[in-house]
Amino acid sequence: MTATAETTAGSRGSQPPVPDGAVTVTVKIRRFNPEFDDEPRWDSFDIPALPSDRVLNLLHYIKWYVDGTLTFRRSCAHGICGSDAMRINGVNRLACKVLLKDLLQTGDKQTTITIEPIKGLPVNKDLLVDMEPFFEAFRAVKPYLVTYGNEPTRERIQSVADRERFDDTTKCILCACCTTSCPVYWTEGSYFGPAAIVNAHRFIFDSRDEGAEERLDILNDIDGVWRCRTTFNCTDACPRGIQVTKAIQEVKRALLFKRV
Amino acid sequence: MPELERHSFDVLVIGAGGAGLRAAIEAREHGMRTAVLCKSLFGKAHTVMAEGGIAAAMGNVNSSDSWQVHFRDTMRGGKFLNNWRMAELHAQEAPQRVWELETYGALFDRTKDGRISQRNFGGHEYPRLAHVGDRTGLELIRTLQQKIVSLQQEDFKEFGNYEERLRVFQEFTVTDLVKDGDRIAGAFGYWRESGRFVLFEAPAVILATGGIGKSFKVTSNSWEYTGDGHALALRAGASLINMEFIQFHPTGMVWPPSVKGILVTESVRGDGGVLRNSDGKRFMFDYIPEVFKDKYADNEEEGDRWYTDQANNRRPPELLPRDEVARAINSEVKAGRGSPHGGVFLDVSTRLPAEEIRKRLPSMHHQFKELADVDITAQPMEVGPTCHYVMGGVEVDPDTGSSSVAGLYAAGEVSGGMHGSNRLGGNSLSDLLVFGRRAGAGAAEYVRALDQRPAVSEDTVTEARATALKPFQQEGGENPYTLHMELQQSMNDLVGIIRRQAEMEEALQRLEKLKERAQSLTVEGHQQFNPGWHLALDLRNMLLVSECVAKAALLRTESRGGHTRDDHPSMDAEWRRKLLVCNVDENGVSVEEKPQIPIRSDLLDLFDRAELEKYLTAEELS
Repeated sequence: MTATAETTAGSRGSQPPVPDGAVTVTVKIRRFNPEFDDEPRWDSFDIPALPSDRVLNLLHYIKWYVDGTLTFRRSCAHGICGSDAMRINGVNRLACKVLLKDLLQTGDKQTTITIEPIKGLPVNKDLLVDMEPFFEAFRAVKPYLVTYGNEPTRERIQSVADRERFDDTTKCILCACCTTSCPVYWTEGSYFGPAAIVNAHRFIFDSRDEGAEERLDILNDIDGVWRCRTTFNCTDACPRGIQVTKAIQEVKRALLFKRV
Repeated sequence: MPELERHSFDVLVIGAGGAGLRAAIEAREHGMRTAVLCKSLFGKAHTVMAEGGIAAAMGNVNSSDSWQVHFRDTMRGGKFLNNWRMAELHAQEAPQRVWELETYGALFDRTKDGRISQRNFGGHEYPRLAHVGDRTGLELIRTLQQKIVSLQQEDFKEFGNYEERLRVFQEFTVTDLVKDGDRIAGAFGYWRESGRFVLFEAPAVILATGGIGKSFKVTSNSWEYTGDGHALALRAGASLINMEFIQFHPTGMVWPPSVKGILVTESVRGDGGVLRNSDGKRFMFDYIPEVFKDKYADNEEEGDRWYTDQANNRRPPELLPRDEVARAINSEVKAGRGSPHGGVFLDVSTRLPAEEIRKRLPSMHHQFKELADVDITAQPMEVGPTCHYVMGGVEVDPDTGSSSVAGLYAAGEVSGGMHGSNRLGGNSLSDLLVFGRRAGAGAAEYVRALDQRPAVSEDTVTEARATALKPFQQEGGENPYTLHMELQQSMNDLVGIIRRQAEMEEALQRLEKLKERAQSLTVEGHQQFNPGWHLALDLRNMLLVSECVAKAALLRTESRGGHTRDDHPSMDAEWRRKLLVCNVDENGVSVEEKPQIPIRSDLLDLFDRAELEKYLTAEELS
């Protein structure tokens, strides 16, 4: 690819050769540009792709060679930073973790992949949503260690078992897949949502923490855990495999029995 | 022209990875009104990808460990080119920083008696890495993010404003630093979302922008790593050192193309994985250097026995230092014995039962299954070297992180010196905390001692705005993505893992042409969240920093750590005494030699003389 690309005004330059084994797929993207659009619109792109490609690669192909204005977030590109959550064929996933081969149609039918921004948060542009309401809910549950008394000079002691107790909820990458898959969150945006509760759980069940009561009070609020209808969408959506619904249930139980 | 958004702070921190957040916390704790500016969302920094752990001689697992041993290991890892004062401070303060992180609330794996557990890692004499499974970097960032949330809630209680003393500006790009005479006066940049320009007036700026890996085609680095801080520092008049030293990790994924460069952990080899070429041969036996012959097995049988009996056998050559393995893989591929996609085979499937592989290497099993559709319990992986870390960066004062420009500070990967010519695994997370804190304190002291705050002239602002808008002023220019790919290909092929004079000269010629073409980039659309425009601006930084790398690499006629010259294959003690310093002025990038400050004698006394003879000149030893 060292050859100089022929370019003309307005074109995206030459496209790379289509690799062996590539298939043509249609990527249908829900787009919105606040400069021009009153309403979101759908754009479809027919592009060559390998079955081993990830949805993130398809988006990159479009951005680099077809439409340089396509806007989405991505960072580490392998499922750790949690930047590229989107609705892929109707379910919340990280684009860097979905392989094309798992979306391909059987037989001769051309595959269409539908990509939309995650639901329940304001869309800024294309697949990019305003994450502020999501982080506001995260901050509201006091997502930090609360302790009283003097700081120790070395580490606090924590047994292996105590540390295991909240291991699952420390895996959260704040991608919002869970919160924006929740039907309650879609209709009642004031609900804290699963991710905030997961992050509260991470501290409520941390043996070093002394702020459980304050946090439980917050979660007992009208917009707290009682809004959860146990639909398990959040657990299905979590790219980290966190048992989100279970964590919410544990918080509910802690509230009912006033015991952590 | 829309009105310019303006803010005034005491300390600006550019970058929100481990170093940036730790620096911001420190500056704020010193009473400074502090702002953090970062390109991504808050909490998504590249630091989250660090897996291994944080190196700190706490001695929780082996009480023989001490800062002196850690210091020795770090200097050996860097082939003695390290700034010894930084290595000393780092080894001394890393334990405090880990304990402090724990009191902030970080999760750590624990020992049986409930203390922070520590694991073995390459180059560290004792188990030294504090860790949380394989997600230590993620936990580090999350903890610092949580700490900042708690400080902001404290401020709300005290002042009724969450952002009174610490404010984060996320998805924001800094395009230029601004100065008042010789001093830093602030920074100019834009909101990535709206494209609107913002001027920050601040007497002190801390660069914590990370590395430069996105200038290379195959890299484990994420999109933010475009050398912004390196380039901002250069343009503001600061110097970079050690830019020729780049760490290539031997095993990155090479297939499918979608995941090329993503890291394959060293543990695969540690647990029995072997490297094979297209003939099925375990080629590493052909690449054991003379100096390592007594420590590495010369036949497969002995190498295989080592996994169960380390006392009576030598270790297999797959476990040679990273630079040796990376070079060997490179040679096999060049000799036509590579895998179908230009790497070699890393096979654990014929070495361990499937059950055992899933148990010992869960994340790798997961990674290959999910991203490459390869079942590593049944198939070999294809791997090749990947650009991983830049040892070079802003030349700083070890104690305060101050650069040569008044008011400009740097910490973490964007600073240079700490790791010498090669960084040990685990030493980067500790580096971020130790020197992030020091830079935060250094900047705060500087601001406190100022009589008069610097002022920003309107001319400076007009110029910065014009520079940033240039890609919109042109028609008929090139697609920035095309240019970026050509830059990555050139750096990968010509200034990559193995370097030759003629190739680096060619690289410099290509860079000249790319620089010309970059003058006429064209971007579509408008300023509002325009990814093409962002890349066009990032390219300016990547081209400048790449030129530093190529020029410094061409000058250093020896091989040391992350700099391997095919035409000068050995290490030269005379070169250890010299640093290559990059500067930029109206004539472009210049590189000059500068003598190293001799190592303090009490630190030299920590080593055996026989060992020092490998690195130091006779004159230094006399």
